[in-house]
This record gives sequence, structure tokens and C-alpha cells, in this order.
Amino acid sequence: MIRFEPDRSQYPQPGDDGKIEIDLETGKYLKLWHGPNHPGITGNMSVELTLCGDEVVEGKTHVGYLHRGFEKLMERRTFIQVFPIVCRVCVPEPDFNEWCYAQAVEELAGIEAPEMAQWIRTLILEMGRFNSYMMAMGGIGGALGMGVIGQWMTYVRDLMLDRFEEMTGARIYHMFILPGGVRGHLPEGFSERMEEVLQTAERYLADVDKAMFTNAVFKARTKGVGVIDPALFEPYGVTGPNARAGGVAKDLRKDAPYLVYDQLEFEVVTETASDIWARARVRRRDIDVSIALIRQILAKMPKEGPVMAKLPNVLHWKIPRGETYVAGESSRGEYGYYLVTDGSGYPRRVNVRGPSYTHAMALLEHLIPGTNIADVAALMVSLHTYPPEIER
Amino acid sequence: MMRDLHDHLKTRYRLGDLAERRGNLAFVDVERADLRALLVELRDVHGFTHLSLLTAVDWIEEGRFQLTYLMNNRAANRTLGLRVFLDRADPVGDTIHDLWPTAATYQRELREMFGIAFPGSPRVDEEFILEGWTDMPPYRRDFDTLAYSQQTFSDREGRETHDPRSHMAKKLYPEGQR
Amino acid sequence: MGSLRDVLSPFTAWKHVIETPVTIRNPIGREAADGYRGFHQNDIEKCIGCGSCEVICQNAAIDMVPVSDPVDGDSGLRPKIDYGRCCWCALCVDVCMTGSLTMSNEYTWVDTDPDAFRFIPGVDPKPWDDLEKGYRREGGRVLTGAERVEMGELAPEARIDNFDEIVAGYTREQAMIEADRCVECGLCVATCPAHMDIPDYIAAIREGDYDLGLQILYETNPFSEVCGRVCTHKCETACAARHEGDPIAIRWLKRHIVDNVSEDRRLEIVGTPQTLPTRRKVAIVGAGPAGLTAAYDLARQGHAVTVYEAQDKPGGMMRFGIPEYRLPYAALDRDIAVIAAQGVKIETGVRIGHEITMDRLRAENDAVVLSIGLHIGRSTRIPGTEGGGVETAIDLLRRITAGEEVPVPKQVLVIGGGNVAMDIARSMARLQKVKHGAVGVTVTALEDFAHFLADREEIEESLEEGVEIIDARGPQEVVRFKSGNRKGEVKGLRSWAVTSIFDDKGRFAPQYDQGDERLHPAEMVVEAIGQAADVSILGEDLTEALDWNRGRLAVDVAGRTSEPWLWAAGDAVHGPDVITAVADGHRVAASVGAMLMAMGEVAR
Ligand SMILES: Cc1cc2nc3c(=O)[nH]c(=O)nc-3n(C[C@H](O)[C@H](O)[C@H](O)COP(=O)(O)OP(=O)(O)OC[C@H]3O[C@@H](n4cnc5c(N)ncnc54)[C@H](O)[C@@H]3O)c2cc1C
Ligand code: SF4
Ligand code: SF4
Ligand code: SF4
Repeated sequence: MIRFEPDRSQYPQPGDDGKIEIDLETGKYLKLWHGPNHPGITGNMSVELTLCGDEVVEGKTHVGYLHRGFEKLMERRTFIQVFPIVCRVCVPEPDFNEWCYAQAVEELAGIEAPEMAQWIRTLILEMGRFNSYMMAMGGIGGALGMGVIGQWMTYVRDLMLDRFEEMTGARIYHMFILPGGVRGHLPEGFSERMEEVLQTAERYLADVDKAMFTNAVFKARTKGVGVIDPALFEPYGVTGPNARAGGVAKDLRKDAPYLVYDQLEFEVVTETASDIWARARVRRRDIDVSIALIRQILAKMPKEGPVMAKLPNVLHWKIPRGETYVAGESSRGEYGYYLVTDGSGYPRRVNVRGPSYTHAMALLEHLIPGTNIADVAALMVSLHTYPPEIER
Repeated sequence: MMRDLHDHLKTRYRLGDLAERRGNLAFVDVERADLRALLVELRDVHGFTHLSLLTAVDWIEEGRFQLTYLMNNRAANRTLGLRVFLDRADPVGDTIHDLWPTAATYQRELREMFGIAFPGSPRVDEEFILEGWTDMPPYRRDFDTLAYSQQTFSDREGRETHDPRSHMAKKLYPEGQR
Repeated sequence: MGSLRDVLSPFTAWKHVIETPVTIRNPIGREAADGYRGFHQNDIEKCIGCGSCEVICQNAAIDMVPVSDPVDGDSGLRPKIDYGRCCWCALCVDVCMTGSLTMSNEYTWVDTDPDAFRFIPGVDPKPWDDLEKGYRREGGRVLTGAERVEMGELAPEARIDNFDEIVAGYTREQAMIEADRCVECGLCVATCPAHMDIPDYIAAIREGDYDLGLQILYETNPFSEVCGRVCTHKCETACAARHEGDPIAIRWLKRHIVDNVSEDRRLEIVGTPQTLPTRRKVAIVGAGPAGLTAAYDLARQGHAVTVYEAQDKPGGMMRFGIPEYRLPYAALDRDIAVIAAQGVKIETGVRIGHEITMDRLRAENDAVVLSIGLHIGRSTRIPGTEGGGVETAIDLLRRITAGEEVPVPKQVLVIGGGNVAMDIARSMARLQKVKHGAVGVTVTALEDFAHFLADREEIEESLEEGVEIIDARGPQEVVRFKSGNRKGEVKGLRSWAVTSIFDDKGRFAPQYDQGDERLHPAEMVVEAIGQAADVSILGEDLTEALDWNRGRLAVDVAGRTSEPWLWAAGDAVHGPDVITAVADGHRVAASVGAMLMAMGEVAR
């Protein structure tokens, strides 16, 4: 493998604390803003790079471009009024927000969503995961110059959005998982139409396997690049596929089964190399798991039954003082809602734990020094970051 | 289970009562001075290696901030929420970035959004989400988002609404009854 | 370095080059899914303008704007949506109290004028108004609680041989759940004759603040203990929750508040008049709800009020009409005690026009209020009503209350289909059960069951207690024994089937099928077909001087008669129930008070 090795003799030497003293006046360095509208990022975020030659000596993540103060907004809305806004915390995989919030409210209010709703919620979360992975695949392809992968994946995602649309009444922000249950049953013939989508997806994914994963260039640019030492996982709060690519078989669907995951059969996908390739592979293989799960859910779920629990009058719904944390395994790792109530009709505090919070901040900043400028986009995308969940 | 752990730790740390939420989730009050030692023990002895999140709750009426450290033991599927209370008038927390480097991000956010200081935490005073913010830390309860948006933005012209009850009173019994 | 396969494999992607692009295969313009959340539709006839949609909208996208005149149970307002704010969450659809608000599956509509995106669905015509497709909520109204909390009642067997109160009253838990259902729209307030602050006192229940609840009740009604039991609760017919569910049990919630505040505490909360005495004097004739409410208000304004009552106890029809099993005397007494505590003098056993004349009242007072109710029972005047064995309901009920001996034969026939008929039938049934161990009451009504005047609950409970109700019968004659040792005594009622009650001009003109004749055996016939006011007490001169309207005293909106010193209130001029009498009492008191105030100014 031929790898470009820069001539580091010109580089500044790190001091005793391992840090490099960067003096822009010397003219040795170049500041480069990677973002906030760089196509290599799913959402608006920027990394302030300091380059020496074509190597990054320092990277600082800047967020806030999408800050809407959601957590604060939620404190000013009644429990039902929070429902329409949570999905907006994460565009590509909004449903986790809906589920975590609903589940947290149900827990503190002592309500249990009916079984049928639990199955539909699980189905939605897997559909959302599938779609999120479509973006991840397209993103990693795009970051490495394979725009066509992004187009295929966008098409497949669109077909899944059609299924979301018929089921929930909306394509992106589904607003379907209400506290207490879900808004409705599956439409007539849903399973058949879903099967068509899954089969189309499988055809396109086979093409992805050929064009991207059986590809000398892709391999050269991802294998051994952007390696995360598994020893960093705990200190840096790394979860989900990013950790699984480093051989850590952690998956909340298995470790802390929620909804109906304990009634479903599936494997936890892992790889070992912990590089960009391994992270891409974990995601690619997890898509197959999602597809199988969607089929399994549709086959196993009850045919009828109520979808909503009895709610109090939501217009003056008060929830006793308490706090809880509800988390699930999103396509990017641990997604959780910490909800604190104070006995009033409004949440006292909502804190959204998006996996990108740790991945794109401390972890990325730690990984980025020493990276070649050409690999920065791939590295970032391989962490599968959604900026809005960082800044909420 | 959580109870056993609590009983075990209680002997050496000043802990509040265990507030059990689910079989695998509980919260407990911790003295600020005991926090660090407790976190280390939880991490190194009891398998609570994962910091799920660190955030704050503003109990403005009680004059204090609550810091919540959600510690998770994935293998055993247990989460313990440690609650540390800070004086709201002079909120200073203890940095744990050396235990979990990622905590630096949380601490930076808490500094910005709640105005809680974490001396020694890397880049803690750098802007995180906000840019050029001069008002009070906005996630404090006394920051009024509605007033802020009313000052910052203007309402769309020509909107007017009517309360059904007073509208009916005006139309049907304008003299009132009382 | 990769294998040769890794070099060649990516070229397989080229096969897509000959594919028709997706954008051509699926051009823009496809219809949205059946359940899509697109632009709103509102069935304007169904919508009641309750504003719940506005309340739930977290984007403040909805304004309630007037589109028609308000009527009972409909504010005439309709939601106007600002699509600059709407996020298509459909919470407004989910919460809609009537199901009128839905969403079409149209979402592609565009316009260059931003104000076009602000409109009143269903009022401002839009191309999607009649689309069948779009978001429809599943499972009806689930966000606000559709079913009423059932009220505990004495079982028929447990109540038929006594006059114990039937209704148990809500427990706190029950009341909390019922109060929770109210959406605080306030539509009911306009319909309540006294415009009680219904949503406010219901909110007080939710807060568990009964003191506040009582205070709110007293602002509009000093007879909340009575009304909490026997009010005709017209408000509930206007309640937003009655659509797609049961109306809020407003009446029971009112009672629940009073049940939870002790008599002493009530006196503390209500207090006594906080003004200096004005030295103005008002006489009120009749201690029913109208007179006592006026007395309460005027006393609190600082005037010296004396209420003259013919019976030896105050309360009017609340005591002498409404049976004890619906309204225990003790409950009534508690309400009256608070009124008396305002310094109101109640002179019982004084019949104006007999012991004291109107002239004297006029001479000794600055104003006089006439609130004498309707105490003369009307008769059908069919053959046979003259003589023994025929009674009026009103008279019997009064005698029962007064503890007088009333005849209790084994078989009683009641003429009439209203609530008064039910009251006397059920009272007689109780007396029969005690005396004979069996109930033998038959009620014959002109109306058929579909048009019955009495409340459904009254009918059901009467039937449960063993009362027989025969609908659509027109009474023709009280048949009496013509010979034998019971000669002259009542034998029964002869009736014909009713074919229609009103003529085509809507006038009362019953038509009968004479072929369908029945004799209902009975030893006593009770007439419960209405009451009249005893205006003879006014005396000839005053009667002559006053304006009349079809046999009733004519009054202006404030309740003032054509004589400037004389007001009239309650059943005698309006009717038909306690709460209307209360409202009347307030209105008259306000008018009298204003007049006294004006007098005061002049005097000063
Ligand atoms: C059997 C029956 C059941 C009813 N049930 C209900 C019910 O469930 N709910 C409801 O809301 N309404 C009910 N009503 C109607 C309600 O009782 C009356 O509408 C209400 O009491 C009218 O109040 P008022 O103050 O106008 O007159 P009243 O209550 O009739 O009071 C008038 C008072 O004036 C006194 N009076 C009359 N003449 C003189 C005089 N010359 N001098 C001194 N005093 C005099 C009378 O003795 C009487 O006490 C019922 C009525 C009857 C007859
Ligand atoms: S759909 Fe949601 S945002 Fe739009 S008007 Fe209705 S409640 Fe408001
Ligand atoms: S909630 Fe329904 S009935 Fe009430 S105003 Fe809105 S659209 Fe009309
Ligand atoms: S009682 Fe009914 S009509 Fe009155 S405010 Fe409540 S819901 Fe609206």
C-alpha cells in the first residue's frame, strides 16, 4: 500500500505537554474552515482546521448554526405540546426523539402504551434507522468522490419515506409516536408495499457492495485511516456503530432491550479494525439487520389491538415531580432523553443526549491532528454526525 | 441490584436515599466533596465506565442547581444518576475531564448555558453554541425566551384572536350579570 | 493493494446509465398518501368555536375569529390558521372537540401572496375543501377524556321506602377525574342563566382548592348547594365535551365543591357585608330563590332587607316543591343560613296582601320586590275534577313537606308528563311503599316518549321505582263510582290516545283517537299540569295600575314593573327553574341597588 508520508521535519515540535505551539504569524500554518456548509457533513457544522502543509495539526469543532434552543422551548410547552417539536432535533432520524420523549413522559406519568403501539414504535424506529443508514452510506460515498452512491441511497430512502408517509401522514417529521401510544394502525396492504421497498433496497445495496465495498480506491482511502483506539471508547463516550467497528458488541437493543426487541431475533454487527472502512462496513451490515427486523416485525406483530392508552386531558396534564432517562440504540449510538418533571404542566428540564455530541466534539478533535486534509471529510462522515443533536 | 450497591457505597460516601425509577435506573444525591471519589470507584470497581450524560437542572425556587451525572454500566444494564447540588448564587462544579475527556464538552456547555463554572476544564470559557451572547445564561429558568423573542423579532401584522367565553359574553349579555 | 476484482467491480455501476431517471419515472405531482397531513378542512356546521384547537397549537398558528353570531353551545368563532407558523402536527385535529377539523392530503398549493396562507378553513373556500382524503384521527377524541365519571346512587330497592337523598355526590378522586375533562372553553357560561364561572370553579377542583371554588360559586350564585343537586343544568347541553362524548357533569362538580366546604368555613369565606349601612330599606315578598338572591345582593350592598314569606319556612318551591330525596332540607337550610348571615331579615308566616298590604310595604320601604313564584296548581277542568279525590301536585307536595297528613290510596293516577308529575308520582310511590308495601302509581302524559317533557333521568328513575308511565294519553274524565258504598269516590281516569298535540300553526290543540279509549283505575287523581301565580295579593288598585303581559306582570329587562318602586323576579315573571330565579334575583338587585344609590346621591 502506497501511502503519502509528509516531510515532518519542517513541522513544529510539540512541547512537553504534547501540545504544539501554533503561531500563525510564522506563515507556516494555514487556517481552513471545513464547513459549515461543507457537503461532507450531514448538517451544518464546521471544523476549524489548522494546517501545516496538507496535514492537520489542530481541529476545533464549531457548532451552533442550527441551535434553536429546543431544550428550553420544551420547558415552555405543555407535555403534549412538546410532542411536535422533539422530532426536529434530528432531521435524518427523528423518530428516536419521539419515542424517547413519549416513553419518558409515560414513565413519569405512570402510563403504559398498549402492545400494538409498542410494535409499531419498533417498526418505526427500524425504518428510521434504515433511512439514517441510507444517508450514512450516501455520505461516506460522497465524501470519497462517489456521488452516485448518494443518489442511489437517496432514492431508496425516498421509497422508505413513501412508507412513512402512508403510515404516519408525513415524510420527514412523522409526529406519530404520541405519549400514550401511536396515532394509528398500519394502513391496509402496508406489509406488501414495504416488502417491495425492501427488495428494491436490496438490489441497490448489492450495487453499493460492488461499487463501493469492492473498490480498490475506496479500500485504499478507508482502510487503516481514521482509526479509533478502542481504549478511547469509554473516556470519549463512543457508542453505536463507531464502537462496534472496534469490536465492542454493544447495542442497547440487546443490552437494555426496550419496546419489543426482546421478542425479535437479530445479531449485533461488529468489525474489528476500528477504521473508516470498519465503520462503513458495520453500517452496511446493520442495514441488513434492519431489513430483516422490519420483515420480522411485520410478520410477528399483532393484527389488531388498541394503539393508544387512556390519557388524562392533555390540555392540563400535570406530571408529578420525578426524573428519568430513556435511551435507545439509534443508527449513531446511544440516543437518550433525560426528563425532569416538577409537578407542573411543563417539563422542568429536558436534556437530549445525541450520540454526535461526544463523537463530533471531543472525539473528533482528538482524532483529527495528523490527518491528511484529503481525509478529513471521510473521517468526519465515518463518525456519522448529525449536528442538530449536538446543539439542540 | 441498585439497592445493594447503594447500601455498599452508603457506608463510605454521604449519599441521599436511593430514588429508584426502574429496575435498572436510580438516582441518588451526592455531596459535592464526595463526587470525584465516588465516580472513580463506580468506574473502576463497579463497572460504571460510561458517562451517558452530564447536565444541569435549575431549581431556581430552591436556590440551587442540580448537576446530574448519568453513569452507566452497560454489561449489567444499570444506570445510576448522581445528583450534586450547587449554590445557585455562586455555582462552581468540579471538572472531571481527566476522568472522561468528553466531559469537557458538557462542562463547556454548562458554563455557557447555565453559567456554572468548572475551573480547570479545557477551553471551558470558549463559546460553544452561542456566538456573541451577552444576556444571562439562557438555560437558566429566569431567562425568559418569550420576552427575548418578542424583543428580537416582530409579530406578523394583522393577527387577532378572540376568547370564546368573553366573546360570547360581549355579544350575548353585554351588560353582564354582575 | 486490492485485487483485480476491486478494480473492475465498481464499473458495474455503469449499468444504471441506461436506466430512466427516477425523476422521469416518478414525476412531481403525485397525490399524497391517503392519510397525509396537508391543508386543514373544517366542517363549519359541526365546529362549535370552542378554541381547543387554538389552545393546543404550540406554534400559535391559530386565531379564533368571528364568522357568525354566537348561540347556545357555539361561540360563532372559527379557527383561522396562519400557515407561516403551522408545523402540520395535527394536534388541533386530534384535540378538536367535535371532529369537525380534519386535514386534506393537499399540500402542494402555492401562491405568491403570503397572506393567502392565512385563512379560515371551511369558510374561505379552497380547492381541497371537499377532498375525502387526508389525516383523520383514529379512535375519536382521545386527548381530553370522553366519558363522564358515573355518579353513585342509591339502588331502587334502597330508596323506594324513604325520602333519603338518592345521589351520593362525587368522591374527591371522582371529581378530579371529571374536572380534568373540562377544556375550559367557557361555552357553557353563556348558556347558564346566571353565567356562573364554570370553567373557573372546575379548575379550582383540579387544584384541590375548594375555598377558592366556593368563593367563585358565591360570586354568581348563593344557592350552589341547591343548584349542585337540582339544577336543570342547561349548561351541560352547551358543553363542548358533549360532542363525541358526555358533557362535563357541571352540576355534580358544583355540588362537590360545596360538599367539601363546611358550613362554618363557608360563612368565613363569604363573610358579611363590607359596606356601611345605607339606611335604605327594601321589602321582598317571597323567600324563594329569586327573593333570597336579591336579598343577599342588596344586603351585601348595605341595604336593610326584609323578606316576607307566607309559609312558616323559607325556600319557596325548593322546599315545598322539590322532594326531599332530590334536595334534603338540610342542604337548603345551609344555603339560606349564609344569606341570613348577611343581615337579611326573613319574616316567615306573613302573607303579604293578608297580614300586611302592598300599600304598607310601599310606604315603609324604598323599594319592593315581588318574588312570589307560582303556587296555584292548575286544573285540567275535565269532568269529574270537582270534588274529593282530585288533588293538584303542587298542593300535595307542599303538604308532604309540611308534614301534613295526605291521602295515600293504593292506586294513584297522575296527569302530566313534566318533572313535577314525576316528583309527585315518586313521592306518592314512597308513601305507598311505606303504607301498603307496594307502589301503585300511573302517570299519563299527553306527549309520547320521544317528546317527553320530564328529564330522561327522572323517567328512568321513576320506572325503576315501579311507577307506570303511559305516554300519549289525553285525559277526558275523572270517573267516579255512580252507586254502591263508594258512590262519588274516584274510580279512575278515562283517556283517549293522542294523535297530535299542536295544530299546524304550532298552537296547543290536542287531537285524539276516540276509538282508543281506556279507563285507568285509581282512587285518587293528581293533576300536575302547571302552576299559576297568586296575583290577587296585589289588590285591585295596584293590579289596575300595573302593566300586564298575557296574564303575567310586565317587567323590563332589569325586572322593574311599570311602577317605579316595584320589581318582580323569579317564576312569577320568568321561570322555569331555580337558576333562572337566581339570575333574576341578581338582575333585580342590581337595578334596585342602582336606584337606591341614585336616591342616596340626591339625598346627599
Ligand atoms: C315540584 C317542583 C319541582 C321542581 N324541581 C326543580 C328542579 O329540580 N330544579 C330547578 O331548578 N327548579 C325546579 N323547580 C322550579 C323551581 O323550584 C322554581 O323555578 C323556583 O323555586 C322559583 O323561584 P321563585 O323564587 O321565583 O319562587 P318560589 O320558589 O316559588 O318562591 C316563592 C315564595 O313566595 C312565597 N309567597 C307567595 N306569595 C306570597 C305572599 N303573598 N306573601 C308572602 N310570600 C308569598 C311562597 O310561599 C314561596 O315561598 C321545581 C318546581 C316544582 C314545583
Ligand atoms: S397542525 Fe399543529 S401547528 Fe398546525 S395549526 Fe394545527 S396544532 Fe397548530
Ligand atoms: S377544536 Fe374543533 S370544534 Fe373547537 S373550535 Fe377548533 S375546530 Fe372548532
Ligand atoms: S364545562 Fe364544558 S363547555 Fe364549560 S368550559 Fe368545560 S368543557 Fe367547556
